[in-house]
Amino acid sequence: MRIIVPMKQVPETNAVRMDETTGTMIREGVEAIINPLDLYAIELAIRLREARGGEVVAVSMGPPKTISALKEAIAMGCDSAALISDRSFAGADTWATSYVISAAIRRIGDYQLIICGERATDGDTGQVGPGIAAWLDLPVASYIGKLESIDEKSCRVHRLVEDGYEILDVALPAVLTVVKEVADPRLPTLRGKQKAKKTDVPTWGPRELDVKPEYLGLEGSPTRVVKIFKPKVARQCQKFTATDEAGVKQAVEGLVKFLAGKDLI
Amino acid sequence: MAKKKTEKAAATKYKPLTPAIIAEMEKIVGRQYVIHSDAEKLEPFSHDEISEKEYAHMPDCVVRPAAAQEIAEIMKLANREMIAVTPRGAGSGLSGGAVPVFGGIVLLCDRMNKVIEFDKANMTITVEPGLVTNEINEIVRPAGLFYAGYPMSLETCYVGGNVAENAGGGKAVKYGVTARYVLGLEVVTPKGDIVQLGGKLVKDVTGYDLIHLMVGSEGTLGIFTKIILKLMPLPKASVDLLVLFRTPDEAIAAVPEIMTKSGIIPTAIEFMDRLSAHAACKYLNETLDYKDAGAMLLITVDGPDEQQVMQQYEAIGEQCLAAKAIEVYVADNHTTSERVWKVRRNIAEAFKVQSPRQSLEDIVVPIASIPKMVAGLEELSRKHDCQIPCYGHAGDGNLHATPVMNPKWSDQQWHDRLEQILVDMYKLTASLGGTISGEHGIGHKRKKYMPLVCQAAFIDMMRAIKLALDPNCVLNPGKIFDC
Repeated sequence: MRIIVPMKQVPETNAVRMDETTGTMIREGVEAIINPLDLYAIELAIRLREARGGEVVAVSMGPPKTISALKEAIAMGCDSAALISDRSFAGADTWATSYVISAAIRRIGDYQLIICGERATDGDTGQVGPGIAAWLDLPVASYIGKLESIDEKSCRVHRLVEDGYEILDVALPAVLTVVKEVADPRLPTLRGKQKAKKTDVPTWGPRELDVKPEYLGLEGSPTRVVKIFKPKVARQCQKFTATDEAGVKQAVEGLVKFLAGKDLI
Repeated sequence: MAKKKTEKAAATKYKPLTPAIIAEMEKIVGRQYVIHSDAEKLEPFSHDEISEKEYAHMPDCVVRPAAAQEIAEIMKLANREMIAVTPRGAGSGLSGGAVPVFGGIVLLCDRMNKVIEFDKANMTITVEPGLVTNEINEIVRPAGLFYAGYPMSLETCYVGGNVAENAGGGKAVKYGVTARYVLGLEVVTPKGDIVQLGGKLVKDVTGYDLIHLMVGSEGTLGIFTKIILKLMPLPKASVDLLVLFRTPDEAIAAVPEIMTKSGIIPTAIEFMDRLSAHAACKYLNETLDYKDAGAMLLITVDGPDEQQVMQQYEAIGEQCLAAKAIEVYVADNHTTSERVWKVRRNIAEAFKVQSPRQSLEDIVVPIASIPKMVAGLEELSRKHDCQIPCYGHAGDGNLHATPVMNPKWSDQQWHDRLEQILVDMYKLTASLGGTISGEHGIGHKRKKYMPLVCQAAFIDMMRAIKLALDPNCVLNPGKIFDC
C-alpha cells in the first residue's frame, strides 16, 4: 500500500510576532517546523505501513528550505519525499496549492491513501486536503480521529463531528484529513536522522509536473488576501461588587438576572 | 506564631525593630518602600521555594531600596541598632538563604532591576541585582551574544541571587557555573561601605580574589549592587538527544565515554533514573515507548552552525548506542526540544501528585562515582521505605535526589525519617568524595550537616572571614554556619 502525506512547513507559533503596522506575520528569525497537525498524519501513515507493509511518501510545496521539514518526516519514518518548489508557485491560494499538490500526487501514482493534517496552523483554512480530493476526484473524509480498520478496498474511520463521531466506510483510494486524536507522533531517532541525511529529496517544478501555467501561483489564484487584521475582542465584562451583607444579595441577584438574560441559566 | 517569634528573638542578641527605627528606614528609602506590621504582606518573604514550613520565619519588616547608598545607610543603621538584615532576590532559592531566621529586616532588591550598561565591544553587561536572569539574554541575543549562566529557574530568579548562590544549572558541563562569568562587583559591605571589586578585565591578579569570595557567599558577606557579567558568542544551533538505557549503570557509564571517546563536551547531560523518568512521562501522558527504560539521559549540544552540531550529535548518539542505549531520539526544533525537556522539568511536579512533601536535595559526587551513588540511593530507599527519585546534572555529578514522603507516614514520622535519610545520604556522599550541595547552597537548611563533609578548621576559617567583615554578624546571620 502506498500512502502519500502532503504536509506544510509553518512558522513555530510560540515565536510568531505580528508587525503592528502592516498586520502581517514577521517571519524573519522565526524557526520553521512541520505543521503540528501534519505530524499526526505522518504518524498514522507510518503506523499503517508498519502494520501492513508498503511505503509512505511525504510531499510539500514551499520554498527550498522546506526540505528540512521533509527530511524530518523521513527521520520519523517516511520512506521518501518530494519537494514541490518553483518561483511560479509562489503566492498560491488553497485552490492553486491543492491543484499543484494533486499534480505531484498523480506523478507519484499508484496510491491507496492520502493523509493530510486537518489544517495548517498558519493559514488555518483546512481547505487543501479536501481540495486535493476534488482535483483527483477521490472521496474525502475530514476530521478523522480514528482509523478503525483498513483493507485493500476500503477503510473504516471515525469522523469527529460536533456531537460525537460519525463512523464511515470509505472506498479507497481516498483522502483523509486527521485531527489530534488519531495518533501521537513519535520523535525522530538518530538512525532516522541519518537515513534522512542520506535520502535524496527531488525538487519538482512546472517542468516535472503536468500543470497548466495559468493555474499557478498568485496569478492563478482565484482568491486574494485583501487585509489581515487582529479581531477586536468583544468581551463584555460586567462586575457585581459587594461590600456588605446586603450588597452580596444584590450582587447575586444581579448576576442571576444577567445570566438569565443571556439564556445561560 | 507571635509567641514563637519573641522566644526566638529573646534567645539572640538581635534587637526588635522599634517605630523609631522603622521611621528612619522610611526616611532612607521612602515610606511606600517599607512593609511592616502587616502579617499578610510580610508572609511571602518568610520562605523561599522550600515547601516545608519548619524552614520559614517571618521578617519584622521588608525594605525595598533603589540604590547602593540607601543599602549602605540601612547596614549602618542595622549595626548601630543590632538588627539582622537578610538580603533577598526573587525568593526562588532552595536552601533557605533568603529566609530571615532572626526576623529583622528583609532587604529586597526587586527595585534594583536595571541594565546599567551593555558593552558589546568588551562583551560584558553591567546589571543591577534585581534583574530577572532570563532578561539578560533577551537583551544581548540580537547582538549575537548570550549569558551562559543557566539556572533552571531562569524565568523567575534574579541575577543577584544567582551570584550570591553561585548558581549552576543545566549547562554547567560546557559553560561552568555563575562564578565563571562574574568579572566585577559593586558590594555594600556588612558595615555599610561601598566597595568596587574587579571590572571588565579577563585577567586580574591585583590582590586577593575577593570577587570569588563574594560569589557563592549566600548573602553573608556583602550585598551586590552592580554586577559585571562576561558574555559569550551565541550558539547558532542546538540539538537535544533523549537517550533511553536499560539501567542507570549503563546510562551513567556512558557519560564519561561520551566525552572521552567522542572528544566533545556537550552543553548539558541530564540524568533521570527510572522512577523520575517514568513518573514524569506518566504525568505528561508521554507516548514514547519508555517502558523498558531504566534510566534516561538528556544530552544537549550547541555550536556555531547546524553542520557542526549535527556532526557532534551523531558522534555522541553513536557513542550512546555503542554503550548499549535502547534508543536515541533527536530533537532539533522547538516542538521536539520542548517535548523532551518537559520530561526533565516535570519530575518534581509529577511527584507532588503522589505527595506534596518532599526534600529536594543537591548532592554532588565525582562523576565516576555516580553509579555507586545511584545504587546507594536505591538501598537507602529500601531501608527507609521511602521513594527517592534521583535526577540531575550527570555531566557534573550533581544529583537532585529527592526523598518523597511515604503517604502512609504521619508528619512526625516524615520529620524523623527524613532526618535519618539525609544523614545516611550525606554520609554516603562524603564517603564517595562528594559533598552536600552543588548549586543550591547551605543556607540554614543544610547548616547542621556541614560537619559531615567539612573539617572544623574550614568552618573556623569561614567564621574568621565572616567576623572580619561583619563583626556584629548582622548580615544574613544563621546561614552556612553559626557565628
